[in-house]
Amino acid sequence: MRKIKRRTFLQSCAAGMGGILAGGTAPYFFTRSIARAAEGATIKVGILHSLSGTIAIIESSLHNAELLAIEEINAKGGVLGKKLQPVVEDPQSMVQVFAEKAKKLLLEDKVVAVLGCYTSASRQSVLPVFEQHNGVLLYPTLYEAQECSKNCFYTGAVPSQQLDDFVPWIINTLGRKKFYLIGANYIYPKETNREVKALLHKHGGQTVAEEYSPLGATEFSTNINKIASSGCDVVFSDLVGDQIVAFYKQYREFGITAKDIPICSPITTEQEIAAMGPENAAGHYTSFDYFQSVGTPQNKVFVDRYKARYGKNAVTNAVMQAAYFSAFFLAQAIEKVRSTDADALIYEGLPGQEFLAPEGLVKIDEKNHHTWLWPRIGRANEQGQFDVVWTRKNWVRPQPWVPYLYPNKTCDFSDKRVVERLKKPWSQEKDRSGTINM
Amino acid sequence: MSGIALADAITKKPVRRVRRTPMLPRWALIGGAGVVALIGSYPYYGSNGYMLSLLGKFLCYAVFALSIDLIWGFTGILSLGQAVYFGVGAYFVAVSLKLNYTLTHPTRYGGKIPDFMEWNGLTAVPSFMAPLMSLPFAIVCALVVPTLLALLFGVITFKRHIYGVYCAVITLAESLILQDFIIEYQAYTGGFNGITDYSNYVGAAFLWFILGVTAVFFLTGRVLTHSRLGTVLKSIGDNDVRAEFMGYNVANYRIFVFCVSAFMAGAAGAMYAAWVGLVSFLDTGPVYSVEAVIWTAVGGRGTIIGPFVGAFLVKGAEFFLSGTLAEWWQILVGGLFIFVVLVLRDGIVGTIANWVRRRSAGSFRQIAQEADRKAHDRQRDWQAEGATRHGEEAR
Amino acid sequence: MTQSIITQFLSGFSVVAILIIAALGLAIIFGVAGVINMAHGEFIMVGAYTAAVVGKLGGNTLVAIPVAFVTVGLLGLLIERGIVQWIYDRPLETLLATWGVGIILQTVTKLIFGPELYYVGSPKFLAGGFRVIGRLPFPWYRLFLVIVAILLLALVFHVIFKTNLGLEVRAVRRNRAIAGCLGIDTARVDMAVFVFGSGLAGIAGAVLAPIKSVSTAMGFPYAVDSFMVLVLGGVGNLWGVAAGAGLIGEAETVLSFIFNNVIGRLLVFLFIVVTIRLVPKGIFGYYERR
Repeated sequence: MRKIKRRTFLQSCAAGMGGILAGGTAPYFFTRSIARAAEGATIKVGILHSLSGTIAIIESSLHNAELLAIEEINAKGGVLGKKLQPVVEDPQSMVQVFAEKAKKLLLEDKVVAVLGCYTSASRQSVLPVFEQHNGVLLYPTLYEAQECSKNCFYTGAVPSQQLDDFVPWIINTLGRKKFYLIGANYIYPKETNREVKALLHKHGGQTVAEEYSPLGATEFSTNINKIASSGCDVVFSDLVGDQIVAFYKQYREFGITAKDIPICSPITTEQEIAAMGPENAAGHYTSFDYFQSVGTPQNKVFVDRYKARYGKNAVTNAVMQAAYFSAFFLAQAIEKVRSTDADALIYEGLPGQEFLAPEGLVKIDEKNHHTWLWPRIGRANEQGQFDVVWTRKNWVRPQPWVPYLYPNKTCDFSDKRVVERLKKPWSQEKDRSGTINM
Repeated sequence: MSGIALADAITKKPVRRVRRTPMLPRWALIGGAGVVALIGSYPYYGSNGYMLSLLGKFLCYAVFALSIDLIWGFTGILSLGQAVYFGVGAYFVAVSLKLNYTLTHPTRYGGKIPDFMEWNGLTAVPSFMAPLMSLPFAIVCALVVPTLLALLFGVITFKRHIYGVYCAVITLAESLILQDFIIEYQAYTGGFNGITDYSNYVGAAFLWFILGVTAVFFLTGRVLTHSRLGTVLKSIGDNDVRAEFMGYNVANYRIFVFCVSAFMAGAAGAMYAAWVGLVSFLDTGPVYSVEAVIWTAVGGRGTIIGPFVGAFLVKGAEFFLSGTLAEWWQILVGGLFIFVVLVLRDGIVGTIANWVRRRSAGSFRQIAQEADRKAHDRQRDWQAEGATRHGEEAR
Repeated sequence: MTQSIITQFLSGFSVVAILIIAALGLAIIFGVAGVINMAHGEFIMVGAYTAAVVGKLGGNTLVAIPVAFVTVGLLGLLIERGIVQWIYDRPLETLLATWGVGIILQTVTKLIFGPELYYVGSPKFLAGGFRVIGRLPFPWYRLFLVIVAILLLALVFHVIFKTNLGLEVRAVRRNRAIAGCLGIDTARVDMAVFVFGSGLAGIAGAVLAPIKSVSTAMGFPYAVDSFMVLVLGGVGNLWGVAAGAGLIGEAETVLSFIFNNVIGRLLVFLFIVVTIRLVPKGIFGYYERR
């Protein structure tokens, strides 16, 4: 009797477990088999942006822009006669999941490249994965720089492209010299402010105070009180995400206008302005390479298509634009080397690639994998758009290591020393970056 | 002690009958050995690096879920801050590995200290962190510090008779404090970005190590909960007032099991950091703790294999389905929380075990009689039960 | 400096008001019905989105307040009838179930409204501010928040202490079994309390939306803050809400001014833990006769 009990127990357990496992994994194998059937006819591109969680607010628009670009490429006949097939993963705004999903895209789906990531944290978490498994990442965000990775192509602005003209412009054209720096408490604002301070020192400005607010904090009455009593005449903000909205709203609520103390920011976009309401942003300044109001014909097409696809209230911004043209860079690079091999793309396909983007002609630098862009300064107007008040006459070379802070460092993937060390197997080479000390 | 509770303690019958089963029955040993063999031999029959990395991770999740099961499933303490202990364990090991890694691998700034220290203006490893250069020391810290933290927490709360809802909220605060702390002191912790890019140990040998530790913990869990101690813990979970009345020092039992579970969580975190190669403040947050509570609930709280089954099923489903389902996956997870609470109260393992137990109870007539008797019991208990069970602060 | 600290103290009142508004709904649900409503933050979020919709249709905050109360109240009714009514006797598991409800609410809102931040304007007649001391004016809208907080507190006091429903609620709060024996329909009281509390959360969302950012993930910090207020002030006593919010709000603003936001927050958390250690049931905790 007892034995039978034991046996039935084991059997039922096994049956139950088997059933659950089968039920849980069946859809997976189902989708896998569909995907496998479609293989060969398509080229897979990974899309890695959070669709849920806190950062989804911003990242889902990058996701949309990339899908739009892929649709356009496919409508024109695809690449090498094949369609690009986006493989979408949702990292849920968590860095661990970013790393995990990146691994899945490279090892399981075997994508040719990944368009993805937004925050510095997510990029830093996936970079080791891309370096170890030799994948290609196109990263569209403006970021703190001081980095270059063989496997990553940075299509967003580096601080020097946004600040080198912006800070002197504030001092000379706006005539404001006393800066109050406020930022979110993580690497991007800290590194950016380091450069701002260096530039202020160089151009005769002055840092009144430097303050960092915890990410996600949305109560700024204290900070605004500090700003008012500090005697500054311009606020330089690198707050991010929903903080931007709360800060601008409360700033106006406490009666400080853009005429008294304007907010200058390298990160506030049209998207945040739409969320805070144009009346709260009007008169404040942002420095970017792209604004929705840029008057190029390519931009008109881009904005129209984006609105047709995602609703007429949708706004575009610089990071979305970078995400958008990243996909074209990738398509052109695959066409150029006529292969989907990662090394071919990294060494020949992507470097030097040019594209007529909404902001103008952009180019991936041959040496440092960053992108040549067109710095602009915009003043927010009553319609929630930016009036471009200053445009640089020529595009600007990306400098991941700014000379006034790091005089003897540079990135150069064409340098013999770098090429030598990158040719070694991943596990043996200890320095995998493209940085060289001069 | 209130009058009602006292009366209740004297008159009320046990809600759940404690059935002494053999500590290590043969089927459990055979089944466990089978699972160990199945996972341990994966490097031989599977060649997929991604699946291998998932396996090691899931084992760490399973240990973490087990640590929650010990306190929640068996002793009735719901902690929303269990990830604190996991995170502390993980951070110790990650910092140690990172410090050693940067000695040989130049950072992007070209220095020999972790990049998060460099961009925060440090030029050398601060002296209080220097001992962490030794990995064994870091491992000891990863095990001992969470245990001591749990001890401290236990003394603060359980000795003051804070448990139930209040305990859950305080553990939530604990978790948030640690998160704020990690983000604020980013020169030492990596801050919002976490610690990444160090040499982690992915491979068959370390998988076996994790598997071994997991097996030991699950055996320990089984022995603990099926010993005399386990019976006491269960009685505390069922009705702590009565347990106190029986002469057990409930606070000390709670503190003990809390420390054991923190030790396990710390060990899980340490292995996780070494395996995954990435630790962030999210690993210490309340969301992660609640997630693990749900694994436990799905698998079956109050059972030892429940956490294992739950962690593998929920996490497995997430990794395979969240990409294709996108937003709908979140709805599915939310629904799972509700489903487990409303319908599948004993979890998968618990439900199967109940079913087996009922099957073995005998004929249909016997089962019907048993059910009648239980219903009768419940009716008789009704009033006293209603008076005390609703809202623990009434005690 | 002193002037700034006074200004800071004054603007602290608005933070206190925000905390009171956010925590009231939870105080009722948690304190009376005994449900740990982890979806509280999401109720606030739904209230904020309701205000956004009302704003799109041309109404302002004053219109949004009753609309949000009704909308979120109905949502609360749905959740109470569908889920919570089955688990009143298992407080810890209400935490898990409502956590699930929160996830679902977030995702559904995202599917309906899209993931981006949402715009809610503040009413025109409350723009600007009045000067009290120092350089910064005290915004009218913040004063409005303080008034709303006081009115809501008064409303809740009125409902609990002056109405029949309140009498029943207090009876159930004291002793559920005896209240049941006296003919009070305890299930109905629970339901009423849950719906009322949800409606208050809706109001919180509607009045906070104009000064904060509105997104699907906005709720969690409010839920956490509300729980801290309750734990510090004491569950089941309305003075506790005021006291908890007052202490946390003023401490956080003044400490943040003296040190910085993070240290301010850390100190407040530590303060809460120490207080709990000394007075486990909170400052105005509900003690049964022993």
